Amino acid sequence: MTWWCAATGTPWSWTWRAYPGVWAFVLLAGLLAWNWGRLRDAAPRRRRYFAIGMALLWASLDWPLGTLGGYLASAHAGQFLLLAISAPPFLILGLRDALDTRVTAGGGLDRVLRFLAHPAPAFLGYNLILLVTHFPDVVDALMATQAGSFLLDMTWLASGVFLWWPVTAPIRYHRLRPPLQMLYLFVQTIPATLPSAFLVFADYPLFKLYEISPRVHGSLTPMYDHQVAGLMMKIVGDPIVWIGIAVVFFRWAGAERRADLTASGRAT
Amino acid sequence: MRHLAWGIMLAVGACRSVPKAEYSGDLSGARLPAATVRPAFRLTTTAGDTFDFAGRTRGRLTLLFFGYTHCPDVCPATMQNIAAVTSRLTSEDRRRLDVVFVTTDPDRDQPDSLGAWLARFDAGFVGLTGSIEAVEAAQRAAGIAVAIRAPGSRDYTVSHAAQVLVYSPDDSGHVAYPFGTRQAEWAADLPKLMERWKAR
Repeated sequence: MTWWCAATGTPWSWTWRAYPGVWAFVLLAGLLAWNWGRLRDAAPRRRRYFAIGMALLWASLDWPLGTLGGYLASAHAGQFLLLAISAPPFLILGLRDALDTRVTAGGGLDRVLRFLAHPAPAFLGYNLILLVTHFPDVVDALMATQAGSFLLDMTWLASGVFLWWPVTAPIRYHRLRPPLQMLYLFVQTIPATLPSAFLVFADYPLFKLYEISPRVHGSLTPMYDHQVAGLMMKIVGDPIVWIGIAVVFFRWAGAERRADLTASGRAT
Repeated sequence: MRHLAWGIMLAVGACRSVPKAEYSGDLSGARLPAATVRPAFRLTTTAGDTFDFAGRTRGRLTLLFFGYTHCPDVCPATMQNIAAVTSRLTSEDRRRLDVVFVTTDPDRDQPDSLGAWLARFDAGFVGLTGSIEAVEAAQRAAGIAVAIRAPGSRDYTVSHAAQVLVYSPDDSGHVAYPFGTRQAEWAADLPKLMERWKAR
């Protein structure tokens, strides 16, 4: 029984495959977070954020994307975009009220969360994981086993928390003003250019796994697949972060406008 | 489970055909313990012409691979990786190289379908077919395990040797490349193979 998506070397087919480990993880993590976050009584938008985050998480891990991640570098990149860039902000926003009220001030978790909200460790944490987990030897080794693939997926999810925490954390953790949050997010998109460029401009495929894996489609050569993966990291990954920048900007502009209105109301 | 069984059979077949191969220093392929002679067999090209392998490829660097077009894993990956490198050779080097693919599934691989399949990789690849007896004789002449057709009426698989046999301009085989040889390795080795064992 295959419990987690990994590279199997078996010929590709579009036949559905079951991954009980993925279901158990998503179900268990979802239930635990739901209970800890007291989402039953939370505002509807918190539940919506959480549901979107869990749906993105599930989509990245299960068939077909999770399975394809063992055959195609581009699918693997798609998993990264969902796990590290798309799902975490929704999960954090869904649990934001609980993170604000249920984490004891001054406690161990509180200190960790406060430290992670600083841009420097967040930048280093996210990009260290990004770079290390895109080394060919690391990918080839981890994706060959279910345990390795699980570790890689969880590491990517953690990297997404590093990436988004400084801008989505409850207000008491914020170290940055909105303009700096926008700058921080923009700077976070720069290092990904390195693995992306290597994938796009390499003379030959970098990942052995995706070079010799059974073909999904005849016209999708390993080289082309690698180039698509590299482009996805920038052409799809960066705009997701830019959406985050836009959200920060409009929320900031709205807050400023409300402050101005309040001030002018007081003046009259 | 079925694929695992076939994988084991393939591995056994590969080991049988390249006994005690050692990996030589600057080549990625497995150095054969003793040089083999360029095999002699006659099959039919996708155009319907008779192809005398030993005669037509004499004195030239030749990559010989036995496989089949319905192969779900090894054959397309191998041919695609070789094609990715041959397409980057200079036209002079490309003219010095023959890539010959012999089908181990002549029942399904008719000349036109075999030709169309190979053209997807490189129109210059030579596709050979023939009777099952002739194809088996060619495999024996090349010193590899004879392919075995799995039971099944339509979508059967064929267990076949997975290595690429290389014959140098001296008409001998000194090295074989196992499945999993990477494009970068082919790119590094092909120029060396053209120069290493010159025609006598």
